[in-house]
Amino acid sequence: MASRLTSAALVAHTTRLELVVRHVLAGLGQGIHAGRERGSGVEFSEYRAYAPGDEWRRVDWKLLARADRYYVREAERDSHVALWLVLDASASMMEPSRSIPGLDKLAYARTLLACVAAIAQRQGDAFGLVVLSGGRVQFTPAARGPRQLQRVLARLDAAQAEGALPDAAALKSGLRFAGAPALVFAASDFLDFPSPLSEALLRLRHMRHDVRLACIQTEAECTGGFDAGPAYRDPEADDGVFRFGADLREGYLRKREAHFAAVTAACRAADVPLVDARIEQAPGEVLRMWLRQAGRR
Amino acid sequence: MNSLWWLALTTLLLPIWWHRKKRVQVAAEPLASARFLPRTEPRQMRVWRWADVVLLIVRCLLLACLVAWLADPVLPWRGNTVIVAEGTDARWTEQQVQAAGFKDAARLTLPAGAALNWVRAHEREWKPEARLLVLGDIPMPAAVPRFRHALALRTLAKPAAPSEVRVAIGGARAGEWRRMFAALDGPLRVVIEDAPSAKTELIVWDQPGAPPASLRAPLWWAADAAAFPELAKAPGVDGIRYADSARGRVWTSSAWPPADPAAARRLLETWRSLHYAPLPYTAPVRSFAAQANAPVPATAHADGALRDFLMMALAALFALERILTHARRR
Repeated sequence: MASRLTSAALVAHTTRLELVVRHVLAGLGQGIHAGRERGSGVEFSEYRAYAPGDEWRRVDWKLLARADRYYVREAERDSHVALWLVLDASASMMEPSRSIPGLDKLAYARTLLACVAAIAQRQGDAFGLVVLSGGRVQFTPAARGPRQLQRVLARLDAAQAEGALPDAAALKSGLRFAGAPALVFAASDFLDFPSPLSEALLRLRHMRHDVRLACIQTEAECTGGFDAGPAYRDPEADDGVFRFGADLREGYLRKREAHFAAVTAACRAADVPLVDARIEQAPGEVLRMWLRQAGRR
Repeated sequence: MNSLWWLALTTLLLPIWWHRKKRVQVAAEPLASARFLPRTEPRQMRVWRWADVVLLIVRCLLLACLVAWLADPVLPWRGNTVIVAEGTDARWTEQQVQAAGFKDAARLTLPAGAALNWVRAHEREWKPEARLLVLGDIPMPAAVPRFRHALALRTLAKPAAPSEVRVAIGGARAGEWRRMFAALDGPLRVVIEDAPSAKTELIVWDQPGAPPASLRAPLWWAADAAAFPELAKAPGVDGIRYADSARGRVWTSSAWPPADPAAARRLLETWRSLHYAPLPYTAPVRSFAAQANAPVPATAHADGALRDFLMMALAALFALERILTHARRR
């Protein structure tokens, strides 16, 4: 319980994504890697100047002794798998945790995706980022290496939860991946389902990409633990005021379960793994589940 | 009585009440899963907020000004004062001032007849602890006056100034009339004229025939009533009949000129009392104690009153209020 709280609280309290990622991955330990690709590779390709974030074991020490500069041995890759991170940064992702102050869905999704990016970077995979916010698609092309990790982390950090999801046309042009097989990690609250985003993701699955979804929820959402005092409004639709009370919890839970049953059924039908992530959970657990499903495939 | 107007300050609550605005506020928190909840009416929150604060202030000031104008506040500024009637002997005045210990007091010179009334009307100008000393030939008022300040009245009777009355006498019995007027005593001095002039106040017409139409005087004494047709049906009092004619008021009596001293004295007394103001009677020396509840005449307009200033402020505020109201509607 204590580690779970510290982990989630860390997400809430630090603004440095890199720190969180390091902390989460340290707790994760070894063994989550798919094993197909060991970062250093076998076939030597070239030397590259050291950049912060490179693993020390890949630094060529002999060359350091000779040239007094850090160089990293780049290896030839036999993998062509690209990894795509899709972050839903619509206004509903601003939903805070009702038990841990300062923690919200967006911060949690950001942490998960940053961890996946860091793992991909360690494995030497190319990875790109798609941020869906304010009706627009912000696209970061896939690339390898520590600089790409820095870039992606910066983009994740800069993402603000605002507006609605982009429409189908914008998503179609934004999520146009190369023909090569790709892994797609998408973090969203899936409160809109079916939506242009879900349709785009399922379409990617039909195009034989490996799509994995994380459904970001809060503890209060799952148990109906909202405060009955204030009135509520939908952050993405300006369509009136809603109220909550003990008498309404039953109906709320029933509707919500029906909705997510539909989501799960649609995912199962399309053979898309879906992980339920409560933001009060430690990110490491969720990440392990998310990646394990990937490994099983 | 005036101070009751201050109670009207409660009317200031009216603009304050009218200007307050009940703001409806919907305090709704964002909730991502609100779509699973039933819709409800926006909750209304009542917030007290005042609209158009400048206009509100101007209106409150306007009302306060109006109430103050009605309450007619006066700033007391006079201290111990000696009020001297006009024409009072200066040496006697100094003596009295020294004796009463009013050496450093301010001096005011007023007409003797109006002095006490003036003091009553302006009494709010005096500071509460001020004392007053009134000197001179002050006529005695009909009722005992009451003052809010201690007032000492020291009077010195002055011989009445003689006043001249011009009388024209015409007719054969002029001698008898002259003798009668010569017997008149008192401050009234009769000057006998041979022919009436513009200043003649009484014409004794003791001859047959009507006087010329152009001849006018305030009073005619006609021994022969036939000369004045107005006297034909005139009412009479005490043997004297009287009527108003184009020439002036006419008295007549069949017993004229008076034959005995008593009748002459009665006629002269009647004439003096009806046509000339009575001589004032000098009031006795007296001290009036301060009476806090002494009434102030309702129409009194004291110097040092804020009435004029308040009226100007009222006009300015009214104009300002109209302008602001107009600007707000725009």
